[in-house]
Amino acid sequence: MVLSAKNFVADPQFVIPCIIAPFIFTMVSLFFIVSSSSNNVGASALLAAVLGGGLMGVWGTTVYGSANSIGFDRWNGTMEATLAAPSPLIWIVLGRVLWNTFIGVINGFIVLGIGMTWFRVGVGLLNPGLFVLATILTYVSMSSFGLMLSTVYVLSRKGGFIENSMEIPVYIATGTSFAVALLPFYALPISFIIGPTWGIEAIKRAAVGTAYAYGPLLPTGYWTDIAFMLVATLAYFALSFILFQRVETIAKKNGTIEEY
Amino acid sequence: MTVATEEEKQPEKTLAEKETLAKKVALFYRVFSGSVLFGRKGTILWDSWEMWIMQIFITPPAEMAFFFLLAIAVYHDLTQAQFTVIGNAVQSMSFAAVFAVANITSQDKWQGTLQTLIVTPANRMALFIGRAMFQIFMSALITAAAFIYADFVFGINFAHANYLALGIAIVLTSVMMISFGLLISSIGLFMRTAMIVANIFLFLTMLVSGVNFPVQALPLWLQPVGWAIPMTYGVLAARGAIMGASVLSLGTILLKELIDGITVLFVGYFLMKGFERLARKSGRLEEY
Repeated sequence: MVLSAKNFVADPQFVIPCIIAPFIFTMVSLFFIVSSSSNNVGASALLAAVLGGGLMGVWGTTVYGSANSIGFDRWNGTMEATLAAPSPLIWIVLGRVLWNTFIGVINGFIVLGIGMTWFRVGVGLLNPGLFVLATILTYVSMSSFGLMLSTVYVLSRKGGFIENSMEIPVYIATGTSFAVALLPFYALPISFIIGPTWGIEAIKRAAVGTAYAYGPLLPTGYWTDIAFMLVATLAYFALSFILFQRVETIAKKNGTIEEY
Repeated sequence: MTVATEEEKQPEKTLAEKETLAKKVALFYRVFSGSVLFGRKGTILWDSWEMWIMQIFITPPAEMAFFFLLAIAVYHDLTQAQFTVIGNAVQSMSFAAVFAVANITSQDKWQGTLQTLIVTPANRMALFIGRAMFQIFMSALITAAAFIYADFVFGINFAHANYLALGIAIVLTSVMMISFGLLISSIGLFMRTAMIVANIFLFLTMLVSGVNFPVQALPLWLQPVGWAIPMTYGVLAARGAIMGASVLSLGTILLKELIDGITVLFVGYFLMKGFERLARKSGRLEEY
């Protein structure tokens, strides 16, 4: 984690692209909301849009940063040295993932700042305590998801394809900017198995108070959302531990570690 | 180091003067066609099966779906949502036309081929436009695919569409956005990478080019940025063509796009020359 932080300070440019899409998407959301003010879209919608933008930012850095934590090793020729280290690879990657997700949280605050100054979005949170709790747990959940994702990079140099392809679908599937209930019925199971979907719902509940995502589909509450997210997060961590052991062995056997 | 005297330089000058226009055009064409061929072979980052899948089958429908659903959530109005679908169908070409083209110089840095390219006496315009040509094909292909999604997935009504006008709008916008990509690419000569600027402009068009809402809805100070990007006119033309407007009635918009694109191309060309000079002076050509 410390090494990732140092790398970021030395060369922050690669993280910047990860936060541009969320920023632009949020701006479009805010313009939509402002232009539809005749439909009585209130301050809570503006705040929800800004929160959605912030969460997209965390997703962006999680998806790109986590996957790239191994990709950069391949690119820089340090993959073999990393794998040869006595520490288990999963702990090394987990540190990097935590840092990347943290950068996403900072991006969230940047979006919030712009929303407050440009669109005069108020930050009157309904329940600040529950909001902070949900944010921290969602941060952990996203990190666990990123950790699971990074195993693909150990196996294949084509991990970039997955990270690039996942960015926008993950914004849609987890209801960052609109209700998951708007998705076609067949897409909902995908949405529900992604832990952060529940976390995002809990964050919005704590901030603006409305049952935002599922509507009549799943009449859940704040604590149910948190419980579902925790279950998914634990499953991700367990799966990551299993996957890391397997993919490391396979990559070593196949001799594909240095491929990029 | 040997310095050429005035006498030694003289014969070269005379030879250059003797070069006929026909020879210059032939040389330009030779560099250009070679560059077109290399443009595809050299774009290893973009010309792979997974990039084709991502650019044609994943990113365009995902982007369209995001803004379609967002508009539904905010406006509760299908017409407004479909407005964003057409805009994003045109915008989907940005990955090829802007991002891939903008990264041409950066890619040369990564591959270590930039210095070799820079020292050639070949015409820069022919060299760099040629290398972007493959992306015109990609851009048009991506946008055509996006319009198929617009029809079959998002229910856009093409019953009155003027397909000739739509086709011209797509191809013209692809060509003109390449010039925009080349402008950004020139920055890559001087900076360590054009990746950041390329990323900004990849998505910026969603905000300023009338893709999701009319340019007039932007703050006054931001509107000129929108009108300076060729895609803004392309989106307008595509919307008009789908509603049945003929090529003739879209003439003014298409002409504005053409003028804008050519202007952008020349600005990009002069920027490239300037950045090349700066990079040579400061020895930053190999920085990446």
